[in-house]
Amino acid sequence: MTQPSIILSDVNARQSVFHRRAFLLGGGIAAGIAALGGRLGYLQLVENARYAKLSTSNQFNFRLVPPPRGLITDRNGAILATNRPNFRLLYARQKDQDPETVISTLAAYLPMDEARQQRILKDLGNAPRNTPVAIMEDITWEQFSAVNIRGTELPGVTADMGEVRVYPHGGAFAHVIGYVAKVNKEDITETGPNAEPIMLHPGFRIGRQGLEKALDLELRGRPGAQKVEVDARGRQVRLAPGGDVPATPGKEVQLSLDMDLQLRGLELFGEESGAAVLMDCRSGDILAMVSAPSFDANRFVRGLSGAEYKALAEYDHKPLFNKALTATYPPGSTFKTLVAVAALEAGISADMTINCPGHWYFGGRRWRCDGVHGPTNMHDAIASSCDTYFYTISLRLGPDRIADTARRFGLGQAFDIGIPGQKKGLIPDTAYKRRAFPRDPVWHPGETPSFGIGQGYTLVTALQQCVAAARMANGRKALVPRLIRSVGGVPRPDASAAPDLDFDPAHLALVREAMGSVTTRGTAARTGQIGLGDVRMSGKTGTAQGYNYNGGRGVHGTAGPWHLRDHAWFTGFAPHDTPRYAIAVLVEHGGFGAQAAAPRARDLMRLALLKDPELRSRIERPPAPPVAVADSRGPVEGGPA
Amino acid sequence: MSFARLTSRAERGRLIDKLAQIDGVFCLALILIAGAGALMMFSIAGSSWEPWASNHITRFGVAFVLMVVLAVIDLRVWAAIAYPLYAVSLILLIAVELVGDVRLGAQRWLDLGPLGSFQPSEIMKLGLVLALGRFYHGLSAERARLSWQLLIPAAMIGAPTLLVAHQPDLGTAVLLALTGLTVVILAGLSWKVIFAGAGLVLAALPPFFFFVLHDYQRQRILTFIDPESDPSGSGYHILQSKIALGSGGLLGKGYGLGSQSQLNFLPEKQTDFIFATLAEEFGFLGCAAILLLYAAVIFMALRTASLAHSHFGRLTAAGVTSTFALYVLINGAMVMGMAPVVGVPMPLLSYGGSVMLTVMIGFGLVQSVRVHRYSEVTASKSSLI
Repeated sequence: MTQPSIILSDVNARQSVFHRRAFLLGGGIAAGIAALGGRLGYLQLVENARYAKLSTSNQFNFRLVPPPRGLITDRNGAILATNRPNFRLLYARQKDQDPETVISTLAAYLPMDEARQQRILKDLGNAPRNTPVAIMEDITWEQFSAVNIRGTELPGVTADMGEVRVYPHGGAFAHVIGYVAKVNKEDITETGPNAEPIMLHPGFRIGRQGLEKALDLELRGRPGAQKVEVDARGRQVRLAPGGDVPATPGKEVQLSLDMDLQLRGLELFGEESGAAVLMDCRSGDILAMVSAPSFDANRFVRGLSGAEYKALAEYDHKPLFNKALTATYPPGSTFKTLVAVAALEAGISADMTINCPGHWYFGGRRWRCDGVHGPTNMHDAIASSCDTYFYTISLRLGPDRIADTARRFGLGQAFDIGIPGQKKGLIPDTAYKRRAFPRDPVWHPGETPSFGIGQGYTLVTALQQCVAAARMANGRKALVPRLIRSVGGVPRPDASAAPDLDFDPAHLALVREAMGSVTTRGTAARTGQIGLGDVRMSGKTGTAQGYNYNGGRGVHGTAGPWHLRDHAWFTGFAPHDTPRYAIAVLVEHGGFGAQAAAPRARDLMRLALLKDPELRSRIERPPAPPVAVADSRGPVEGGPA
Repeated sequence: MSFARLTSRAERGRLIDKLAQIDGVFCLALILIAGAGALMMFSIAGSSWEPWASNHITRFGVAFVLMVVLAVIDLRVWAAIAYPLYAVSLILLIAVELVGDVRLGAQRWLDLGPLGSFQPSEIMKLGLVLALGRFYHGLSAERARLSWQLLIPAAMIGAPTLLVAHQPDLGTAVLLALTGLTVVILAGLSWKVIFAGAGLVLAALPPFFFFVLHDYQRQRILTFIDPESDPSGSGYHILQSKIALGSGGLLGKGYGLGSQSQLNFLPEKQTDFIFATLAEEFGFLGCAAILLLYAAVIFMALRTASLAHSHFGRLTAAGVTSTFALYVLINGAMVMGMAPVVGVPMPLLSYGGSVMLTVMIGFGLVQSVRVHRYSEVTASKSSLI
């Protein structure tokens, strides 16, 4: 009786309770399973389309394909910047993986020194997560296959074929076209075109200098996409057939430059430093814009080594600097042509003579002239570059009239030719003096004579000098230079819209006449003759002081240390009678304008004239004997042929 | 010796009789479910028996044999070992608490040296059902309805549940508690107590959520409520599982063509989320077939429970069945995004040895109840053995 006794009715009671409740339990479970079935039906049948889409977007990724960058050609269609295919190795960091091990394994198959390995690791550290980083560009087929075979040892390393920017002419166009380079962190913006994901692609390059920078968005094009099947870690499983979106290539840019002239222009400078600009003085097209010495832009595309960059940056001839646009110099005697126009416009007669005894007294100071010119009229003063004459008339004109004329010729302003970073230079006047020198706001008469011979505060660029020569030569239009002819087939406006040049054409003709004498009997008589029969070049030499001699530092001519020598100028146009091309040549610390600048201007101009079919037929017209290749001839002595 | 031979012959005859009593349709349903699991494991391994499918088949085979062996064991033997088994399980759970291995941040495993390691909570699932069945076997309907003696089953359920929850293994703890409560309710607990208890639990949930749960457990529940809030973090599992299910459609993407599982978007694709893998490749029809198989297994087992003459047999068979059903419902709800991710596998379909073993031992008990459905188990200790 110690055990609980369970009588029959109680057994039945327990059983019936169990049966009732087991029935409820079964019902509950059935309801649960039915709920699962219902949920399943909802997900799989009702919501199927939505989840199928999500599943597809899991399964497939669109990998961005960088677009081919737009071509850059010269005025005749010769290619100045293009793209070529290259094999490169990419590395995307994997989970639980030490990049150092992978890189050092890779170093066994590829030439990678310690410094390069460190640099790659640094790049990897800087790159955003899941973004592949280019380990090596331009690998050979042997290297490519060596790495490919060992794919399993090198997880995350993939070989990839892309395109790389190439500049076939190396340095000649480097300052104009600039170059592209890898995208920096600083390049990526929050919004706008520089926020696009293609910026992170290891094959993408951004315009870093020159036109590549200025026209970057036009040249870029639109990235395409490649459909790839990926796993949950984002690793590519296979290419998916179909569904690729082709990339849209960047727009083609045609420049006004002429490849032959540009190449010749750089060649002419040799070891010298300087700039040359040659313009069509009817259309404003820039046919050559050279800065010397130059550098190979292709090196920048791949990424320059620190030592290489240092060498370029520290060289005193400043190869990275565009001396045609971003360097300013005093114009020296070339400025006299503009002072002469100002004088004529102010009513000073061209026939008035001023006696030049070789020096001039003013303000208790003795002002030197380069020679003893005797009684000199305007024509002779330009031809022989008489300082005394221009000291005198500039004093009569006053600074404001000279400055106004200079500005109307295009000095002191930047031109919208599409290259950023142009310098405006400086054309001083009384207003400038007030503004810039609060302690001495008065323009002293003693400052005018220097201004009149292109010294003092005056600073100009080679492009401005060429524009001034072109306006002088054209005589009617205030020409504006054009460097970009068309972008994507759409032409940029040319000089037809340029405003009129508001000078008396007769006055300009008088000065042009005098410039003609410069190369026949004046300062450049020995170095400014192009030797193409009756097609002659007119111009003006200039020797600009970079330093004040009185300080005992600067030296006239080619004596003394290079960096203290004068800058040599030549500005001019040809043919002398029906001007077609204008030119400005600057040789930095080159000494005398007639010696250093005029021969270079002559040689470049000669090529321009010979390349012009219209002028060529005039040059070759009988009975004048056909002119052999002009370059074989030395400097011409004596007068015109 | 002759006695032994005689006994032996008689035993042999009884053994054959008993084996014939095992439910063939029930076994077939189990084989079909486990076979479907192996089929999916073969698919997601890239048409390979390794590393899962062949293991799964071997384990199921061993477990199936074990089930048959257990089915012929007399119900009285089960009743006799009920309390000892429960006691041993409880001691092991305490041992885990003291010396257990910490794996994946939870203390669940007990290292048995050469025998490998195992989770005592698995044995407890059976031990609890047996012990409760044994307890209620000796209790009148009146007392089972409402009496001070009900404190004993409460303690029997509470102790292991709290120990397992402390490991922490919330999924198993919930499973233990629900299984125990099902047996208590089936035994005839007063509805008033049931509703009052349910009310109390609901009231206790918020403080439990905020003060007792571990951070990762809380996070799982939060993500469950809004999985899209963190699609790459903890919401990832639920979201990817729903994508796998939903993209399956009516007929599925085809065998071996489930991109979600083949490309590893689906987490735990061979274990907890194998149902999603199946749903992706075989679609709604495949899933419905598997759910029907599960329903069939559950109802055959419940019927076995109902037909048993002994109260012990009824309660233990129903307890095992409810454990199994809870597995199916919790895993199904989790895979379909209706419950938080708690680490409960789909029984027999999922890869994994210990749950398979637990379930098949449980079904061995269920079949033993079926085989011995007419035998009485007396409440007295002397009649056991």
